[in-house]
Amino acid sequence: MNTEVSVSKGVFVNKNGFTRATKLTKIKKKEDNAFSNHLWYKTFSSQWKNIEAKLHIINSEIFASTLEDLLKFLQRSCEHKLNEIPSAALLTGINMPDHEAQFSTLTKEIKENVSPHCVTLRGQDYHNLKLLIENMINGFINDEEAEIDVFVDNEETSNIKKSRCNFSVLQAWYENLYMNDSILNYSATGSPKKRKTVPNRKVLVVIIPDLENFNYTVIQDFILIAHSYINILPFVLIFGIATSLDALHRALPYHVSSKTSIKVFRSQPSTIYLNNVLENVLFTEHCPFSLGGKVFNLFTDIFLFYDLSVTGFIKNFKYAMMEHFSQGNISALCCHDNAEEILKNFTEEDFENLRRIYSFRDLVEREESYKKRIQLLTDNVYLKICLHVLVKDLPKTPLGKQVRELYATVVSKSISKSLHFKECFQLLDFQSKDEFSSKLKSIIGIIENNPPSNKTFSKEQISIKEKLLGFLYDLESIGTSKCVIEKNAEEIALGNVSNRAQLKESVIKMSHIQSKNEYVKLRGSILDYLQKIFEEYLIDCNSLHFHELFFFNDIFIQNQLIGMHRSAIHTALNDPQTYFQCSCCEIQNEDVILPTMPDISIAYKLHLECGKMINLYDWLQAFLSILDPAGEDDDGDNKNRRVDPELQARFTQAIVELEYLGFIKTSKRKTDHVQRLTWGG
Amino acid sequence: MDEEMDSLVVNELQQTFPEREKQITELYSLIGRPDERYVTSIFIYGGPSVGKSSITKSMLKKINIKHAFVNLIECYTSKVLYETILNKLSDHKIDPSAGQPYAKCDNMMDFLQHLQVIHNQTNLDGAIIVLDKAEKLKDMEFNLLPVFLRFKEIIEIPITVILITELIFEKFYSRSNLVEPIKLHFPQYNKEELLCILTEDIHYAKQMILDNFDELLDFDREFYRNYVNVFLSVFYRVCRDLCELRYMARINFIKYCEPIMNKETSMHDSMALWRKVAPVLKSSLEVLYLRIADDKTPLQNGKQSISLDFSKKNVARTLELPFYAKYLLIAAFLASYNPAKDDKRMFVKYHGKKIKTKSDVKKKSKVSEQLNTQLGPKPFTFDRLLAIFYAILDENIGFNNNLLVQLSSLVELQLLSSLSDNFVLDGHKYKCNVNFEFIQTVSKMVGFSIRKYLSDFSHM
Repeated sequence: MNTEVSVSKGVFVNKNGFTRATKLTKIKKKEDNAFSNHLWYKTFSSQWKNIEAKLHIINSEIFASTLEDLLKFLQRSCEHKLNEIPSAALLTGINMPDHEAQFSTLTKEIKENVSPHCVTLRGQDYHNLKLLIENMINGFINDEEAEIDVFVDNEETSNIKKSRCNFSVLQAWYENLYMNDSILNYSATGSPKKRKTVPNRKVLVVIIPDLENFNYTVIQDFILIAHSYINILPFVLIFGIATSLDALHRALPYHVSSKTSIKVFRSQPSTIYLNNVLENVLFTEHCPFSLGGKVFNLFTDIFLFYDLSVTGFIKNFKYAMMEHFSQGNISALCCHDNAEEILKNFTEEDFENLRRIYSFRDLVEREESYKKRIQLLTDNVYLKICLHVLVKDLPKTPLGKQVRELYATVVSKSISKSLHFKECFQLLDFQSKDEFSSKLKSIIGIIENNPPSNKTFSKEQISIKEKLLGFLYDLESIGTSKCVIEKNAEEIALGNVSNRAQLKESVIKMSHIQSKNEYVKLRGSILDYLQKIFEEYLIDCNSLHFHELFFFNDIFIQNQLIGMHRSAIHTALNDPQTYFQCSCCEIQNEDVILPTMPDISIAYKLHLECGKMINLYDWLQAFLSILDPAGEDDDGDNKNRRVDPELQARFTQAIVELEYLGFIKTSKRKTDHVQRLTWGG
Repeated sequence: MDEEMDSLVVNELQQTFPEREKQITELYSLIGRPDERYVTSIFIYGGPSVGKSSITKSMLKKINIKHAFVNLIECYTSKVLYETILNKLSDHKIDPSAGQPYAKCDNMMDFLQHLQVIHNQTNLDGAIIVLDKAEKLKDMEFNLLPVFLRFKEIIEIPITVILITELIFEKFYSRSNLVEPIKLHFPQYNKEELLCILTEDIHYAKQMILDNFDELLDFDREFYRNYVNVFLSVFYRVCRDLCELRYMARINFIKYCEPIMNKETSMHDSMALWRKVAPVLKSSLEVLYLRIADDKTPLQNGKQSISLDFSKKNVARTLELPFYAKYLLIAAFLASYNPAKDDKRMFVKYHGKKIKTKSDVKKKSKVSEQLNTQLGPKPFTFDRLLAIFYAILDENIGFNNNLLVQLSSLVELQLLSSLSDNFVLDGHKYKCNVNFEFIQTVSKMVGFSIRKYLSDFSHM
């Protein structure tokens, strides 16, 4: 019986996306590991490498400010005479998978800039103090990567047995490294002044990335010990805290916490991290592959609702990319520099596939228009950002606050025709001059920062930019002329005033008529122009030819990304045909039970009809009546039918398998009954 | 000659450790003279930071005798203890390339034997073994304490053992016969003594002012004493720990001097200074022992209070949880603080009317101590958690693995705690660890009214 294989396939996220190919690729490519020769794979790998490199840069940039503060803190920490252990509490946020990258960069930076002695201790590995200390000291002493600039042979140091590592050994090792000349002092009373004279004393950094996971007594004892050595061995602790500082206070009672002095560092919340990644890597023109609206929404939902993990998001993105490219050679066109070259390498079959694309139907000539379309698809990225700048701080934010929300609407429908879009421009029409001009400025800045990738578009861009600059100039000149007019008006009004109310009225009237009108007019024309541009370029992507090449919009990807083990098992047992692909088990209605189905499947379907308690005998009878309807006819009486021992054995096995899967359990309350553990039918 | 030296040592010690004259003299009379060291064991006890260890340590150094000072916290096995003592008494220098101790030794028998060997090489007469944090001995091997108490008798070398602990000796009693050691009590400092000791910190304070303001504030002892007096008037009631007090006094002194450095108040107007520093002291009372501070620069003291605000009030707000994880947490809270029998009434739409009985009414007027929210979390099963989760969530989402992962990461973050062993896969039980305020903030963030679903509030 094959069910378990297919069941597990449905449950677990398959790590290697390539082996689990979609139906399309299954038919096309039988050999799994010969991808490297394929055109689509080459494009994929080059693009992924590109993205990965960019992500790496973003990653280090985002963490940079916190990292810098931390490093400064570490460098400063050993300057003073110490009464307590300097420690840093790094509030990291709860997305555990993302921490790995942070802490590995941190370790790297510390080793390069502060001290070669840096050990990372993870909570789940250390259940008692002995293990922790031995591993930590082993980490310090036998660290082969450490570049120790003092004259000591690394070869020699690296052969101390782990079990022999204790604090006296560490002390001896450290004194040998840094205090060759000073008098060795065996008692814990070091006179710190004497030790201060040794210049390049390096701190011993201990990183604890997951404080919540740590055994509290172990960490307490460790801190107490480290404190008793603080004048000889300059420890610095770095705690990674996922929740809040309360966790630290809970872990350390006062007699321990008073031995440390804690400085708090915060890293950015992961939503900001994600926005950064999206805006700077995935939405840029360097990444021609884009997600369609539905898939993009799915990914952001997974992020916001389930895990808040940027790493997870990127993995999902990569998976979508792999799915997209593995559709065949035509997706290799999803790039913008060497499309023609790729077209040259295409086989007849590839062209045939290309023609089969849905959106190609109404397009006759291929290669000429192709280029233009690419430009349209890729170059409207920054226009989206421009629009974002315009609409982001409008009241009620009809188009969403974040770029990513805007993106989702832009890719899923034609935004310039939507209701929200019009609403936005209406709202924009009420804005004051200062706000408006600052927005214009930032748009111009964005256009300047995004040099177009090809020539045809650059002309248009330059013209847009010039036009906007002109507008901005007009806007500012209005400001100055307005003042002049107002002054004049005031002077005139003051001349022939009869009462105060009249004066006020006339002044208000004048300023309204003269200056505001001008501004309103100009604003109107600017908005018209912007609207025109947006309408021209932010067209619905789905209406473009070849959009399938650039947009991945296969929502079925969610079955692969979100594991639904219960429903997977349910479908497997309820409708085995979905996995077997056999003709014998085909059913129209879910309630139908066929004798050709596997035994466990029959038993499962029968048990769905029962209540909380299931009588085993009745169950057996129902089971037999399906597998052996003839036996029933012979006797006519259901109760006294002869039970075929083979069938009974099969039934028993099915029951045991169901119990093993957790659907039923034996009950002590009623003999001959089993208890059902799941709800619903 | 000897007496001269005695008084010299005692005087010196008394100067570095004020208000401990009696204890220093007493300890010195016990171990001060090598030829008069007949004591087997000395038991030094007293609260935290009253000078037990540091006085012993410096006295041993002053009178220059062979000794081994061991902190028992470090000795997670008795092997470490034995080897450390042997290393120290034999003056063995550990070669960092090999890490060999003087001798391998993991039981008392070997330990005594090795000591004999050392004694034959270098005379151990009058040596002293100090065991700090001796309360750890209670959890270590049973024979350690009795042996160390009658060490001289057993090894037949005049070695004195000093035990330093925060517990009284009665706590060490066990079935085995203990020899009563000589006891030496270090009492807690009282207010006058603390005042006197903290005033000694004046040099550090001067340096600190210089570091922070880049100009010298020339204050006299009386000024600092006034400050310490003001400081103690707030802190003495909650804390007697000298180290902690000294730390807090140092931090707050900068604040105290700020008005003077800004030329707002004169140095002699102690009333004005008090008015300015009182709120600062009160607020720093809340962070006693937490040690979350950047004590190097005064500029960041403002920041410190902000971060503490964060930690105190807005834990829930600063904690970013995914949407469903928040709902899972709320569901866990409800499951923990509602009795299971109320579930149907709370979460099922048409649960039928409940006839009010007299006992119900009586129950509802119960005192606040009997409220479920006050009684602490009760365990709940995984199935109940999921059922409540789906009942309170408006959207219809499938049951998937990401949800399960969220559950385990909530456990990892210690917002929930798992009560069953890890290898039990069926009917896992959990408990919710967060308090009502926390869950109220979380539910406000997702727009969920928690009070509506808590049986404690449902009658209101």
